[in-house]
Amino acid sequence: MMTDAEADGTMYPPLKRNDDNRRRACVPIRCRSWLYTMFARRFVRKFLMVQQTSVLCLVLSLAVSTLPADEPTPAQHEFFEKKIRPVLVKECYSCHSAQGKSVKAGLLLDTREGIRRGGESGHAVVPGHPEESLLLEAVRHEGLQMPPKKQLADDIIADFETWVRMGAPDPRDGKSAPVRHSINFEQSRNFWAFREICVPVVPQSENKHWPVSDIDHFVLAKLESHSLAPSADAAPGYLIRRLYFDLIGLPPTPDQVREFVTDPSDQAFRETVDRLLNSDQFGERWGRHWLDVVRYAESTGMERNYTYPEAWRYRDYVIEAFNSDKPFDRFITEQIAGDLLTPADQQERNANQVATGMLALGPKSLNERDNEKFAMDIVDEQIDVVSRAFLGLTASCARCHDHKFDPIPQTEYYQLAGIFRSTDTFYGTGGGNGNRQSGRLLALRDDEFVPVNVSGGIKKAVRKLSGQLKAQQKRLDRAKQQKFSEKQIQQIEKAIVRIQRQLKTAREKAAPPAQPDRHLVMGVRDSAQPADTELRIRGEANERAEPVPRGFLTIATLGQAPDPAHERSGRAELARWLIQPENPLTARVAANRIWQHLFGNGIVRTVNNFGANGDRPSHPKLLDYLAGRLTADDWSVKSLIRLIVSSRTYRQASLPTAVALKADPENRWLWRMSPRRLEAEALRDAVLAVSGTLDLSPAEKSIVTEVGNGDIGRTLKTNSFAVSDTKRSVYLPIVRGVVPEMLRVFDFPEPSIIAGSRDVTTVPIQALYMMNSPFVVEQSRAMANRLLTETGNGADRIHLGYQLALGRAATSQEIERSLNFIDTAYHAGDRDKRRRPDSEQEAWAGFCQVVLASAEFRYLE
Amino acid sequence: MFPYSRRQVLKSTSCGFGYLALAGLATESARAAKAVAPLAPKEPHYAAKARRVIFLCMRGGPSHVDTFDYKPGLKKHEGEAPGNIEGAASQNGRKLMPSPWKFQQYGESGLPVSDLYPNLAEHADDLCLINGAHTTLPNHPQALVQLHTGQFQFVRPSVGSWVLYGLGTENQDLPGFVTLKPPSRLGGAQNYGSAFLPAVYQGTAIGSNGQSIREAKIGNISNPRFDVKTQRKQMDLLQQSNQDLLQRHEPNTELEGVIESYELAFRMQSAVPRLMDFADETPQTLKQYGIGQKQTDEFGQMCLMARRFAEAGVRYIELTHEGWDQHSGLKARLTENCGATDKPIAGLIADLKQRDLLKDTLIIWGGEFGRTPAAKKSDGRDHNSTGFSVWMAGGGVKGGMRYGATDEFGITAVDNKFHTHDLHATTLHLLGLDHTKLTYRYAGRDFRLTDVHGNVADDIIG
Repeated sequence: MMTDAEADGTMYPPLKRNDDNRRRACVPIRCRSWLYTMFARRFVRKFLMVQQTSVLCLVLSLAVSTLPADEPTPAQHEFFEKKIRPVLVKECYSCHSAQGKSVKAGLLLDTREGIRRGGESGHAVVPGHPEESLLLEAVRHEGLQMPPKKQLADDIIADFETWVRMGAPDPRDGKSAPVRHSINFEQSRNFWAFREICVPVVPQSENKHWPVSDIDHFVLAKLESHSLAPSADAAPGYLIRRLYFDLIGLPPTPDQVREFVTDPSDQAFRETVDRLLNSDQFGERWGRHWLDVVRYAESTGMERNYTYPEAWRYRDYVIEAFNSDKPFDRFITEQIAGDLLTPADQQERNANQVATGMLALGPKSLNERDNEKFAMDIVDEQIDVVSRAFLGLTASCARCHDHKFDPIPQTEYYQLAGIFRSTDTFYGTGGGNGNRQSGRLLALRDDEFVPVNVSGGIKKAVRKLSGQLKAQQKRLDRAKQQKFSEKQIQQIEKAIVRIQRQLKTAREKAAPPAQPDRHLVMGVRDSAQPADTELRIRGEANERAEPVPRGFLTIATLGQAPDPAHERSGRAELARWLIQPENPLTARVAANRIWQHLFGNGIVRTVNNFGANGDRPSHPKLLDYLAGRLTADDWSVKSLIRLIVSSRTYRQASLPTAVALKADPENRWLWRMSPRRLEAEALRDAVLAVSGTLDLSPAEKSIVTEVGNGDIGRTLKTNSFAVSDTKRSVYLPIVRGVVPEMLRVFDFPEPSIIAGSRDVTTVPIQALYMMNSPFVVEQSRAMANRLLTETGNGADRIHLGYQLALGRAATSQEIERSLNFIDTAYHAGDRDKRRRPDSEQEAWAGFCQVVLASAEFRYLE
Repeated sequence: MFPYSRRQVLKSTSCGFGYLALAGLATESARAAKAVAPLAPKEPHYAAKARRVIFLCMRGGPSHVDTFDYKPGLKKHEGEAPGNIEGAASQNGRKLMPSPWKFQQYGESGLPVSDLYPNLAEHADDLCLINGAHTTLPNHPQALVQLHTGQFQFVRPSVGSWVLYGLGTENQDLPGFVTLKPPSRLGGAQNYGSAFLPAVYQGTAIGSNGQSIREAKIGNISNPRFDVKTQRKQMDLLQQSNQDLLQRHEPNTELEGVIESYELAFRMQSAVPRLMDFADETPQTLKQYGIGQKQTDEFGQMCLMARRFAEAGVRYIELTHEGWDQHSGLKARLTENCGATDKPIAGLIADLKQRDLLKDTLIIWGGEFGRTPAAKKSDGRDHNSTGFSVWMAGGGVKGGMRYGATDEFGITAVDNKFHTHDLHATTLHLLGLDHTKLTYRYAGRDFRLTDVHGNVADDIIG
């Protein structure tokens, strides 16, 4: 008996092996990572290209010789019926047949066509090719593990191998349509985050006295439904300290505290809020929050860590954007497509281009040999940051397959990928030793930014060539002296000419820019020929399927999505799509971040993940209200902050009550203001402010700019980035792998990670830092000098110390024990006559250090 | 008068040291923002064979065919091309070069070890030679980062961080994960970083490449201002103020954590330098490690320090020995490297054994890959990632064993292949952790050290 398939020869593997035959299946349960092996294999293959070819030839010849030349024999069919079909039915069909409950991995094993076509990612069985048949890998549990819970007996596995080797005879006719994992978008839209933002009706609550704003009504309604009551207002002294740190990241001066404590009226509060929102320090505080989200850093990180000397421009842009209250929708647009906007003037042109630095700042694997893979990794990183920062979605999960938890098909990932693939990224590391992916920068020429080369790593080449040149010249002299043959001398001369030529090129590359003040910028531009990109099978950069037209995520499109212009990259449309009023995520995600920075937690606590695996909002209506207010107020961040801090919810005290603590230990329902710890930057800045050494002038550029291009740990020493100034912490150099100690110790997030909220850890390394670090020791000395010069009386000095650092007077008990300690410390050297001339200052510094190290200083009540 | 004694303070702290309060618990992680003690010892998934790890990282890729992978085939085919065997292309068309060193069999097991490691060879019956190791790429940067984090494409937590996350640590006066003289390049801090795991799990670097271990210190470990007695008074003043705050906020585990962290830090100031000071070691012990002899002094000190850390309850200890990248000068430089490490490692094994610590201390020796059996200019070998050797000792692995094998020449692993992922899976397994279950939720999904890879090499487990 001969089946149709056999008759037309389809059961035989094609002799000319096309890409399809080399595909390997990916079992989706764990597929993303399976990919990594695949990447790895490709790498090795690339690397060992020669070997690849020879092995391939070998396999081919084997394959040909072992192929069944004729149709399957009855014995072979019997083999299938006896040994193979029963196992498939018993072990595989429940997940991989048309009759199965759900078809996993788009893989159907119940027809010949299905088993040969394979699943989402390739052929499960390639007749005659055990090594190409993923089914065999899976049953052997080599990487893939099928059946998932148990491994088949060795003899059964051997049977499958035999069967594949004999050409996988398979009498099972019938069509099985390719199974596509399809997403039901309509159904998915029932998920809270994908529903339209509806401005909710403000609820009314029983307690009519407490609420002063709409926010309070939402919060109170939740509290009442959980039988909880709000806390009393915080004492003015605490409130003003909280407000200062929250808005500008610095403590109020004793005078500022005194003024507010004397007049804590609503009007005084409002005026203070406005003053803080309008101060330059506001942007330095809130800009840093944003820099966490967009993984701002000044080097590539990874296995070759090259500096980004121009990254600081983006940092300053962000600070300025918050200070000028740039509408958040505009802020989004500039970062994604600033280069495509029409600027009003040169300054705006510059800012717009610098804003796109956001897309260029990510970590990069510069040692990557495969250019296509490098390009697709950059695209992936850009999709990751854009989707998580603006949409709270982990779209990068769909690089290799449909998203496992959220309604994001793989095709839509490549719709976005087409946009970024049509974009050139300028990160300016230069090229050089170990950096296979040299990066250029953009420079302003007349009215346009144009790509320019940078000199990174080339100086080394100049040195090397200069050395060679010298050696050859010496050789030439010697050759002439010793009367070498004409031919030999000519050879040397030739070599000299060649080296001179190389040196000239290298010098040109290494030369400092022609215009010393040339404005160099990191960022992106549309590429020369924007185009759609192909879906990559299992995310493998070089495994191309069909091109996918550029576009956006269906799940976040409730209105009409803009059509990406095909002659451009489509970034402008992407930005427009993100800020569409119908986009259900952008405003919610933005409002939630702002709330988080004022309360310690977001209404959705997973601020970067609004998907199925994320947190659910504690106050969904409040979140929509805030999102609505944000958009209604022209996306003004300052307005939303003003609105929130004016609520009574924000002004609550932070002391616990036993009942509430038991009912809601995490304070999800906001029965108080959660006590919060100062983040690394706020702590450092506060220490500097209290000691009187804080320099409020913004940094010019960065230490990294001074250090210049290079590979950290190789051409640049890790200690090149030490900072001695006392400017605000936002200006400290953020070099990946070399984050300043103070920041690292106090939970600064790994700058390669897109961080939405920071860890709060308490470990002895932090205590050691407060007790012994040169920074704290030095600052406590400066603070002691301040106390010693500003006032004469011991008790007054203690008061001043408390007021500067904690915003309150010291109690009599505190004064007494502090003075006792100072006395002891002062006389400590007496015993062995080690008293130093600065003993008094040091004793006071010891006291100051206690204040700076105290939990009260490090926490916001 | 200070109303609380230090003992009372410690008693009152309910959660033990190392409080982790999480604003939205560990970024995008679990829901419940509860107080947890992230470094407190944790129960493993199942009974552990090993309680701690000492990883001897031979940076650069030590030549396996000259040390632990005996290949008589190289002698037989000296000067020939490797022929048509798998992986031959990685030899860059060069000719096979037999090892310039002799191999001898040692111990009851008769493990073959080259003459480069005479002292270590005395412990042959404790060694489990893994001859079928392989890794993804023959490139230092990627391979070293993969060796340390399982991944080179993305920034991921290091092995030590995962172990600390999974098991906590036994001595709260010390960091739970230390790395002595880690390289500053080739991933640098990424190799001991915690990536998306909370920062408490990152490794503590002691010293750096090129610096003598004698000069290396943990940062901020001593007070530049006061003597201990005065500093204690200062601490008392500080803790009084902290207690006042706690009283206002009680119960507050986070504040308790702060109070305790200061007490621990105070103790660390004496505990750590004491641990790094060898004054209480006998001359015999120092000699055993080769301390005081020029060739072995530096690594001997590092090994002794590793033992002291291990003994004190540090969970994961890494030592880096640089300079195994012998593209040229193989004969001289490999002799030098092995000479510098042989006695110290042998001393470490003997010492741990003597203190009954070897049984639950897993020693791992290896580099990011091995070296080509084919020669570069007759005195150098290139990178070989398709087959190389690592070895383990103690910590529940079988001694006197050769596990896995490369082909006739040592080019490609052919039997019981042992990928870097398998090394990680097996390491975790020996520590009582299931590498498929040790996960952390980040960016909307659960991550693990081995991703979807990794097989435990059951055969080597005693």
